[in-house]
Amino acid sequence: MNESWEKEKRFKIHEVWPLFPAAVYLVGFLIIVGVYLLGLSFSIEKNGATAFPSVGTVSAVLSNPEFRRALLDTTLFVAVGTPLELAVGLFLALILYQQFRFRNFIRGLFLIPLAIPVLVTATILFILFDYPGGHVNHLLLGHYGFFPALVHVPLNWRGSEFLALGISMLGKVWRDMPISMLILLSGLNAIDPELFDAARTMGAGLRRRIWHVVLPLMIPSMSAVVLLRSIEMWKEFIFPFVLAGKYALLGTLIESMYNDWGNSSGAAAVALVLVLCIVATTFVFLWITEVLRKHLVRT
Amino acid sequence: MAEVLLKCISKRLGATSIIDCLTLDIGNGEFITLLGPSGCGKTTLLKMIAGLETIDKGDLYIGGKRYNDLPAQNRKLAMVFQSYALFPHMSVAQNVKFGLSINKVPAETSRKKLSWAIDMFELSGLEDRLPREISGGQRQRVALARALVLDPDVLLLDEPLSNLDAALRETAMEELKRIHSQVGTTIIYVTHNQVEAMTMSQRIAVLSKGRLEQYDTPRTVYDSPATRFSASFIGSPAMNFFAGKVEVHGEDAGVVTPVGFIKLDKERFAPLQAMTGRPVTVGIRPQNIAYAEHHESKRYSDTMLSVSVELIETLGDRSLVVSRGENGTPLRFLITRDIAIEPQEMVDVFVDGRRVHLFDLDTDKNVFYS
Amino acid sequence: MRMAVPDPSLHIKRAKTALWAAALASAVLLVVVPVYLLVKYSISDAASINTGGAPIPLWPYHPTFRSFTYLFSDAHFYGVIINSLIIAVCTVGLSMCLGVPAAYVLGRFRVPGRRLLLLGLISVRLFPDIASVIPITEFFIRLRLQNTYAGAILAHTLLALPYVIFIGMSAFESIPADLDQQARVLGANRFSVFFRILLPLAVPGLVAAAIYTFLLSWDEFIFAYFILGLGKISTLTLYLKQKLAYSPPQNLLAAISVLLSLPVIVFSLMLQKYMTTGITTGSVK
Repeated sequence: MNESWEKEKRFKIHEVWPLFPAAVYLVGFLIIVGVYLLGLSFSIEKNGATAFPSVGTVSAVLSNPEFRRALLDTTLFVAVGTPLELAVGLFLALILYQQFRFRNFIRGLFLIPLAIPVLVTATILFILFDYPGGHVNHLLLGHYGFFPALVHVPLNWRGSEFLALGISMLGKVWRDMPISMLILLSGLNAIDPELFDAARTMGAGLRRRIWHVVLPLMIPSMSAVVLLRSIEMWKEFIFPFVLAGKYALLGTLIESMYNDWGNSSGAAAVALVLVLCIVATTFVFLWITEVLRKHLVRT
Repeated sequence: MAEVLLKCISKRLGATSIIDCLTLDIGNGEFITLLGPSGCGKTTLLKMIAGLETIDKGDLYIGGKRYNDLPAQNRKLAMVFQSYALFPHMSVAQNVKFGLSINKVPAETSRKKLSWAIDMFELSGLEDRLPREISGGQRQRVALARALVLDPDVLLLDEPLSNLDAALRETAMEELKRIHSQVGTTIIYVTHNQVEAMTMSQRIAVLSKGRLEQYDTPRTVYDSPATRFSASFIGSPAMNFFAGKVEVHGEDAGVVTPVGFIKLDKERFAPLQAMTGRPVTVGIRPQNIAYAEHHESKRYSDTMLSVSVELIETLGDRSLVVSRGENGTPLRFLITRDIAIEPQEMVDVFVDGRRVHLFDLDTDKNVFYS
Repeated sequence: MRMAVPDPSLHIKRAKTALWAAALASAVLLVVVPVYLLVKYSISDAASINTGGAPIPLWPYHPTFRSFTYLFSDAHFYGVIINSLIIAVCTVGLSMCLGVPAAYVLGRFRVPGRRLLLLGLISVRLFPDIASVIPITEFFIRLRLQNTYAGAILAHTLLALPYVIFIGMSAFESIPADLDQQARVLGANRFSVFFRILLPLAVPGLVAAAIYTFLLSWDEFIFAYFILGLGKISTLTLYLKQKLAYSPPQNLLAAISVLLSLPVIVFSLMLQKYMTTGITTGSVK
């Protein structure tokens, strides 16, 4: 009996070998990334020689005002960008939730931002938010008949920290809104329409139906969107790189430390902090979702 | 063509036994059926013979050679799956030729075999069609052609007719019998449909929960079921079962049951006397209970019972009467269309004592089966 | 006397529909306008860009393809496109060679702990690009792979491989097990089963994976920038970035961007056609 069992297991390993090249490749790089990230972060260059381990680099980075600024800016970026993505995604999903004739076509249309290469989207914004010319400035100055004048002087979009990071966020949201839309749409479609009818027969008006039926059932997809999008916001690089070069987020800080300052250890340290921020955010969000679910289910 | 021998074959999945020490011998060129309900292990057994499932214990011999460790692709067997498993991206001709090209059969031989198969299975004109372009019956023929074109020692069939409608099934059954008589391959057929088993096979292996209940010709399986399971699975409408106790009343040996004392035939008097008082399960087919047209029956071994008719199900030429005996025990019997009885009527029936089966209460084995 | 009172619910319904239609219109504009403007800029003449304070026209005064012809007259530009092509094609090749066998195993065999294994395989992609690019670039420098085609190809393969495995896995999974077993009973060994039965049937899914990989590599910026950025090999994305750094004419930027987006458009149109002609159905009931 034992012998036949042995034979089955051996059979399996013998058949599984095509998996190994890919597995070795991926796991290999995983190890490289881990080793170098930790290795670089915890080594420091002193007098031309590299010492390891050392917390010097990490502490230097953490106390660096530029880093702190970047951390703060990125946190705000995430805090503002994520709800915005959720809202826009919900907006698009609700439009598509209705049955109408060209629904498939429109859905295809809404996927366009996802299809365009990120760098191209950043370039579009670069062009549109040009200073002093540029479509947006002209629009806001009221130069086009159909739109009122909202400002009197053109805005230097890339010249101010708030505006530059603002348009980076807009670009990111625009680019990724189809993903939020798809997740939320599938969440909406998963709600059994009979629940609405049941609620209506029990006297629930629109507001009540949304609060008691839609929201609780949408929590899984909404929290998925919030979690995924917030992670994306943390690690955003291309938009701020193109549009807000002077004002660092964690992503662009890594790049400038590495390329401009040649400080690979510092860059690695910042990268490590970035990873930790993402992990922390994930845990916080999973915790919040649990709390929220318990609260809503109880009422 | 080859004989197949299974010696105490077993297979387990975790703690459950799927096949439990099953021994079966199939003669050269014989057509046998593995018959049983879903989950009895018949398909697993078939796959073990094919080499698609491993054999945990026991030996498999085909043509005298031990096949346990031979991989599936090296066995000279052919198998037709329930779904036919035609390769969707190949034409009918390519499907049929597949085995030939895999086994590197020389081109001339391959061509001859292909045209033989096309003729034999009436596939001419369909050679270039894709599987999705032909009907279910045609697909079945392609699957058979593909299997038999390789001259396999044994042909394994896994419920190949279950996807066909009733009319097509009858034609297909006739065709299979014809093919068997023409080609002469050993055939192992798996099904849960007893009509298929009874019609086509030379012997039936009745399986239940991984165990072999009976292995006999269709006639024997019908007339002398070895176990209660065999008796209940074969024959339609299903057999009547109720509890009983062996007793001798004067010159008659029989069983005392909730519906009354039923006497058995005189041939079994002696063994019955020897087991007086033994509790048994009594089985009698609806076909062997007849509506009593006259008060006296011609046969000595008939017992007359009074039953109350509950309802009548029309089966076409005959009808099934569901009635209740004295204690309310259900009793089903068949009547011909000219007999007019109504529900709630009390009628008399004759139970044919020669066809009464007794099963041991604990082992469910037929007391009189040898 | 009874006055006809308009059905209040109809009134609300009409308002709702109008609201929805307005939302739909604004959403469509939101998506389409930026793309339109990009295309507009790519065919704009100089006067439509350097308006010297006057509002930029919504349609160029004299639409022209001059920006495109300028690009295509530049030998360096051709070189850049060819580089992007080479890297993308080689990435597809390497990713498929590594990924398809892996997808086959994961899709057809009952490997114990498959989910955990899958998670482990894609875990390298859970690191942000900008974070993992630093270690990988350092590692490549050590191996003298920076500024080489191989470096970019290896990096892009790393990015694409999890997707190839994932998509390929579902392609192989969808093939009924009966076909596999039937082929084996007919005498085919594992190789024959894979090449003659499974691979042909998995082709639609694998083609999707290949296209995805191509686009991923073609559009990729971050790894290309770090690994190739300072060297002689330039890709189209790097070319665009370079131009962005030097305040170039916007119509040129737009033209490059349009060319960068071309493969996506081409493949989407091809996909549309493929979808409508119908996908082959298997012959297993």
